[in-house]
Amino acid sequence: EIKEAYRKLQKRHHPDIAGYKGHDYTLLLNEAYKVLMRNSPRNAGASGRGFGRGFTGNGYSCWNGPVRSHALFVDENKCIGCRECVHHAGETFAMDDVLGSAHVEVQFGDQEQKIQVAVESCPVNCIHWVMSEELAVLEFLARPQQKEAHGVFGGGWERPRDVFAAANNFTKRLQREEQQDMARQQRYNNGDACEEGETERQAEARRRAGQELRWKRLRDVWNGLRDWTKPGVDGP
Amino acid sequence: MTEQLYTVASDSETTGEDKSQMSFPDVAIGIDIGTSNCSVAVWTGHQVELLKNTRNQKGMRSYVMFKDDSLSAGVTGGATREHGHEERDILSGSAIFNMKRLIGRMDTDEVVQASKSLPFLVQTLGIGVRPFIAALVNNMWRSTTPEEVLAIFLLELKALVEMHLKHPVRNAVLTIPVAFSRFQQTRIERACAMAGLHVLRLMPEPTAIALLYAQQQQQLLHDNMGSGIEKIALIFNMGAGYCDAAVAATAGGVSQIRALSGSTVGGEDILQNVMRHLMPDFDSLYAGQTMDRIKSIGLLRMATQDAIHKLATQEHVEINVDLGAGHKVSKILDRGEFEKVNQSIFEKCEGIIKQCLADAKLTPEDINDVILVGGCSRIPKIRSVVLGLCKKDDSYSGIDPLEAAVSGAALEGAIASGVSDPSGSLDLLTIQATPMNLGIRADGGNFAAIIPRNTAVPARRDMLFTTTHDNQTEALIAVYEGEGNQAEDNHLLGYFKITGIPAAAKGTVEINVCMDIDAGNVLRVFAGVVKPQGQAVPPFIEVRMPTLDDGHGWCGQALAKMYGSTLDLATIPKKLHP
Repeated sequence: EIKEAYRKLQKRHHPDIAGYKGHDYTLLLNEAYKVLMRNSPRNAGASGRGFGRGFTGNGYSCWNGPVRSHALFVDENKCIGCRECVHHAGETFAMDDVLGSAHVEVQFGDQEQKIQVAVESCPVNCIHWVMSEELAVLEFLARPQQKEAHGVFGGGWERPRDVFAAANNFTKRLQREEQQDMARQQRYNNGDACEEGETERQAEARRRAGQELRWKRLRDVWNGLRDWTKPGVDGP
Repeated sequence: MTEQLYTVASDSETTGEDKSQMSFPDVAIGIDIGTSNCSVAVWTGHQVELLKNTRNQKGMRSYVMFKDDSLSAGVTGGATREHGHEERDILSGSAIFNMKRLIGRMDTDEVVQASKSLPFLVQTLGIGVRPFIAALVNNMWRSTTPEEVLAIFLLELKALVEMHLKHPVRNAVLTIPVAFSRFQQTRIERACAMAGLHVLRLMPEPTAIALLYAQQQQQLLHDNMGSGIEKIALIFNMGAGYCDAAVAATAGGVSQIRALSGSTVGGEDILQNVMRHLMPDFDSLYAGQTMDRIKSIGLLRMATQDAIHKLATQEHVEINVDLGAGHKVSKILDRGEFEKVNQSIFEKCEGIIKQCLADAKLTPEDINDVILVGGCSRIPKIRSVVLGLCKKDDSYSGIDPLEAAVSGAALEGAIASGVSDPSGSLDLLTIQATPMNLGIRADGGNFAAIIPRNTAVPARRDMLFTTTHDNQTEALIAVYEGEGNQAEDNHLLGYFKITGIPAAAKGTVEINVCMDIDAGNVLRVFAGVVKPQGQAVPPFIEVRMPTLDDGHGWCGQALAKMYGSTLDLATIPKKLHP
């Protein structure tokens, strides 16, 4: 049981017992307990199992300078990994060698002229200008999504074939859920539900950031290995 | 035979030595200063013991007598004199009482306004400063402050404890009402510092009672060899000055506070209501404080208090009192009339219990035990209201209503002092919760809650904000505490400015405001600029709250007027920010 483990750990690390050094550990413990209680089977319906889980509203690329009305997006389904865009605008685009496709690393990381050349040089036309408001949903859905499991069947990960159509559906679902949240908040008639929702999003954002950091570290190691083997190949 | 006697004596000496060694480490004492009564307790190595004064009393009156140029507190009740303090003397204007109700309050507070009818002098200007308080000494009003009165009281209490324990006492755990703001908590800590005590913990009273309940459940398990199932208790505490409610989940010696709620009504308000009911022209009659009027108020107060006590066991009570100057009260007060006069107070009690159940997301059927403590828990209407809301026929009977809070405080003092007990009586823990929302002013005067109510302590929470003007380089962080949606409705704790924000278009800079509460209930606020876009940013600012000493209302209004529009911040909507 989650509660029993929580109580045992609190008995060992609470500052009342362990002194001030227990402060940081107890902060993490309280946070983990809150997330686990929210994701426990009792709250399964509310958390929205399956496709689209974990969306935080934040994109994965960052911006160089202020946010503009348009943004760059790579449809990684169509990308063949030819590296032309990385060659022309290396600060903006980056290759994901595990997935074999390019994506935007820093929005407007290069001069606009270089970016335009990179977009035009794409042989399969998979680089698109999109509205900034749509960027977060598109970049989220471009990642592999967890499929809903039914016992031993299903499970695993998949990516939507048409990322733009999936983005439209996902945005509509988000708006529907937001309206339901607002209705529920008015039904509660206090700010507690809103704060709870905010906290949940913060928790999800924190977890997503943790996963992203681990993923980036793995990717850096992989790229380092490739760079290291390259001189060996050039040698003979 | 001689050898056996020698062995027994040796064992006895060893046991004595162990005891003296056990009491050598500095264990924090537990103090429960109520609005009308106080008590003190300490962990004696295997159980909690309430200490008695020289009159063999466990519960002592909370007042300080300033008569005849010598101070004496209610701890000893003037036992060094030929005669002790009588109730008549306490109500003669020479004694200051209700200091727990007055400490840390502004003169716009309704509690301070209600205190103006007390025998000692309370003067207000109604502009948000602290009230003027004075005691009658040699036919002159001598000014003092509630903090000073409390410090004098604590000094005498400390002397009593040291006389019992025979060694100096430095650390203390004090119980406070749930409705105490952080500003009032700092005043309590200051009074303790004046008396030479270091506050190890300030415990809300229901939390202390929850700890005692957890210990009793633990002992039941030891006796019955049962499993560690979870029990949920609703704790309702109503004393002379405050009423509190809490929901605590207890299992395996860990007491987890799920919800806390409090209000500033108590027995004093009930007393005032009944006095005004008996004397309809009470306010006009006693507008000025002359010697005769002070005496009359005292007589009426004693008669009313006695009547209320009797109504706990009787259906009606007869009141006969001669107030002098041709005024008499001769009346039969029955229980229904008493309940009608105090209807609004009972409704407030009902409100905080409902809020507690809603915050804990529980229904009345989920409650296993209802614990009623505090002097006012003997009022039949209070009992029926609380038990009716929780759908119970009887309350939990294992806890003494008047000794529970101080026993819990002594337990917490022992746990936080690092005492360990081989029998497992101290294998306990309380996971406390914050009673109020904590946040800052943002979005043009709204209150942005960063740490919501009932968050488990210790807690750390942060929130992102952004600028509201192009090229805005400064931001005002005004920290508030309370339940209102507008910042002005809450208590201002302190303020500071963030400077050196990179000049950029509005809405592009991200400012992180983080709040941290540690186990000692110390609040720190960290704020600074994140996502610097390659430019140099100033370091984060850390401020320990509260920083204000006086004039919260004025300060809040001045901040809003001068800096509200130019240095404002806006909350960042999470979904759409890329």
